[in-house]
Amino acid sequence: MTETTVSKPATAASGPEAALPLAISSRASRRQDHKNRKAQKKTAKDPKRKITWDRIWAQRALMAMAVPLLLYQILFKYVPAYGWVIAFQHYRPGLGSIWNQQWVGLDNFRNLFTGVNGRQFANVIVNTLGQSLLSLIVGTIGAIVLALLLNEVKNLPFKRVLQNITYMPHFLSWVIVASLASVALSLPSSGGFINQALLNLHLISHPILFLTQPNYFWQIVAGTNLWKELGWNTILYLAAITAIDPTLYEAAEVDGAGRYRKMFNVTLPGIRPTIIVLLIINSGWILSTNFDLPYFLGNGLVSQRAQTIDVFVLRYGYQLGHYSVAVVAGIFKTIVAVILVGSANLAAKRFNQETLV
Amino acid sequence: MRITRRKLLTLAPVAAVSLGLAGCTPKGAASTSGPKKKAVIPAGDLADKSGTLTPSNPTTLSVYIESTHQIPAADNKLTKLLKDKLGVTLKYELVTPENSDQKIGVMLAGGDYPDLIGTGDLKLRFIEGGALTRLDSMLKTGKYPNVEDYVKPYIKQMSYSGTAVDKGLYILPNYNRFYGDITGGTYNGAAFWIQKRVLEDAGYPDLSNMTVEKYFKLISDYKAKNPTTDGAPTVGFEAPAPTGSEWILTNPPALLDGSPNNGGVIVDKKNHATIYANKAIAKTWYQDLNKVYNQGLVDPETFTLTNDQFQAKLASGVVLGMQNQGWQFGTATSSLQSAGKDQYTYVPLMPVYPGVTPYYADRAVMNTNQGFGVSTTSKQQKQALKFLDMMLSEPWQKVLSWGIEGQDYEVGSDGKFTRTDEQRTQSKDLTWQSKNKLMALMDMIPKHNGTFSDGNAYSPDDQPTEFYATLSAYDKNFMQKYNKKTWMDFVNKPPQNPKYYPAWSITLDDAANQANQQLTDAAVQHLPKIIAGKTSAFDKNWKAYTDAIGQIDVKSYEDVINKGIKYRLKNW
Repeated sequence: MTETTVSKPATAASGPEAALPLAISSRASRRQDHKNRKAQKKTAKDPKRKITWDRIWAQRALMAMAVPLLLYQILFKYVPAYGWVIAFQHYRPGLGSIWNQQWVGLDNFRNLFTGVNGRQFANVIVNTLGQSLLSLIVGTIGAIVLALLLNEVKNLPFKRVLQNITYMPHFLSWVIVASLASVALSLPSSGGFINQALLNLHLISHPILFLTQPNYFWQIVAGTNLWKELGWNTILYLAAITAIDPTLYEAAEVDGAGRYRKMFNVTLPGIRPTIIVLLIINSGWILSTNFDLPYFLGNGLVSQRAQTIDVFVLRYGYQLGHYSVAVVAGIFKTIVAVILVGSANLAAKRFNQETLV
Repeated sequence: MRITRRKLLTLAPVAAVSLGLAGCTPKGAASTSGPKKKAVIPAGDLADKSGTLTPSNPTTLSVYIESTHQIPAADNKLTKLLKDKLGVTLKYELVTPENSDQKIGVMLAGGDYPDLIGTGDLKLRFIEGGALTRLDSMLKTGKYPNVEDYVKPYIKQMSYSGTAVDKGLYILPNYNRFYGDITGGTYNGAAFWIQKRVLEDAGYPDLSNMTVEKYFKLISDYKAKNPTTDGAPTVGFEAPAPTGSEWILTNPPALLDGSPNNGGVIVDKKNHATIYANKAIAKTWYQDLNKVYNQGLVDPETFTLTNDQFQAKLASGVVLGMQNQGWQFGTATSSLQSAGKDQYTYVPLMPVYPGVTPYYADRAVMNTNQGFGVSTTSKQQKQALKFLDMMLSEPWQKVLSWGIEGQDYEVGSDGKFTRTDEQRTQSKDLTWQSKNKLMALMDMIPKHNGTFSDGNAYSPDDQPTEFYATLSAYDKNFMQKYNKKTWMDFVNKPPQNPKYYPAWSITLDDAANQANQQLTDAAVQHLPKIIAGKTSAFDKNWKAYTDAIGQIDVKSYEDVINKGIKYRLKNW
């Protein structure tokens, strides 16, 4: 009895101040929750849980659903890899079967990795990595910033309009984007509004022929990529942001956090797993995403900085009918992509982040 | 499936009617390759008397064509004529020359080809990739008289002589297999072109003994007086290197040195070929170009132009001069003509180095890499070849190049073809062409160049009376000022071609192809820097270019060309 009577006034007295400790406790409990979830995950991954026939039978419906996808992957991703034997042949498509070809050992590898071709190939690797990494970094940062900003827009219709406008360019084909870019970057007399704007702002005294300057090419590729994919890339981040528990924001508000504080201490950590996973996925594409822009925007003058692996393969492989050289480059790309994804994954694991595998 | 069935249903009454009519006309030989229905052969010269292609057994042929022209309009009258007379419907797959390289690679990798392949590929990838059928044995059956007649005198030149597939005839070349007398007035070869208004403004100066210096003087004088053209800045000179036509940038040195167009090489008196890209004759030209670039005569955007942008620029009339081959900017010329801007069209000039005789115009040569072949995967090879055979017949050649009598041309009492002014004007109109001509097919179909058996020239442009009559008043006056009758008169009289000529059509092997590509790459990478660089930096830039060439296996390229020249000297 006494206990209740004592405690009652005590709680009553602490009424106005209760918000703070309560918030703390709720945060603490959330942390606890998170830990629990992590623990659960750990158990889910626990290798001790053996795959038994019983388990397989119990999940037979799920298994059946997975089988077609698995077959698809095997059929279209692994089976065609037998074509890699072309790398060791002097391949002529007219001879029919690929087993009916002249075998040349490592000649194609030597052709691609030594001499004039070797220097050129080394150069195109640098270009591919440079353009991709720059695009990836600029694109990711841009998307995150835009997602954060969009998240702060409280007027819903306005936000929708903004979002639509920014992701529209995603649906344009690269040919169109490339010609838009080439017009934008041309001389004012040909419709180059970028030069016109810079001239009007008195930032330059003579128009710059951007597409003839090798040193601008990577930036042009990154910039064009950003323009086209910015809105589209924010979609995943915006989705991740909506998944953040609103009570976290409330708690932060109670703690006296302003808008920027909330952005940095709640939103950004909240979407960190998404950022990491997307970065890992994209790192696998680094060697393969660079064809359209360098192909359409590149020209002889900037080829030193513009030519990427895919463009090189097209010009020296397919266009000359050297399919074997194209396959050698393809094998090389696959190996590098596996290494890149693997090391990105490893790095993420090292920093104790969400990983793919 | 449903569509074809429906089509067949609608065709049935038509076939029935023609069956009824055919009863009155004598029927041809019994049908060959076992068509499903009895062949009904329509009356007239345009019908296939052998019964392979008849409206009663409609044939759909898919055709791949490398051309800058568009697919003809749906209501094109010749499309309808093909359907009515031969029962043939063409399904076009048009690829512009600058995209053909990559398209061919993809097609070969896929291994599925249209029935007919109209290729312009110097690398012969369709033949060597096994996409084309060897035609020799089909011709031996005697069922294709027009094709036989076409190839007979030139079978050695037309046949493939490499090692990748069986030697033999695969492609029927599309141009310059001449019949009868050669006539004609338009020049489509290589030249330094200059806009007519430039010469007009300079008071029609003497064009003989043209030099690079005089040529640029004409241009700079005119540009100084007329800094803008129709509101846009006037461009003095273009030296672009659009994909597939990089030779616009690289060919001039050989021409300036009095060497005919042999591609990347010049061939000396002993028939030995060497590349000239890194030689003194090239250095002189690019040094000149570097000088005029720094005087602001060359379009600063020239090196980044794609072929489309280049043609658009020419068609806008702002470009005063360029080195090019006439056919390469044919579209721009016709669009200027149809807009009535003849003063913006071009005259061929022949600047040369001191002491050199110009050798720009050559005797038109057959481009044996170019033309139509029948694909190996075609399910109707006989029909496809028969189609080419029919198209090669004189009546069809007249339809394709002149049009339809009474509509597109008239026949005089002396049997000579003429056109009325209206017919002449409309023939240049691009919209009219799309409805009344098969321009894309015409690019690749083998032609009866020269004269027909009735003495008429192959095409209106070649008919001497027609050529002069079609000239606009501006052009007539222009020619009069120079006292010349045709555009051909502006260039040198072509001497007899060397026996091996031209070296650019020699098939390269893998190593040579690669070296050739590397040479082209080095050129498009370095030449713009050399041309657009400071005059003081010229020597340094030139050295960088020749160093880059030095690293390329040029010998393998030259060896293959020299082997080809030897082979031709022995066998042609």
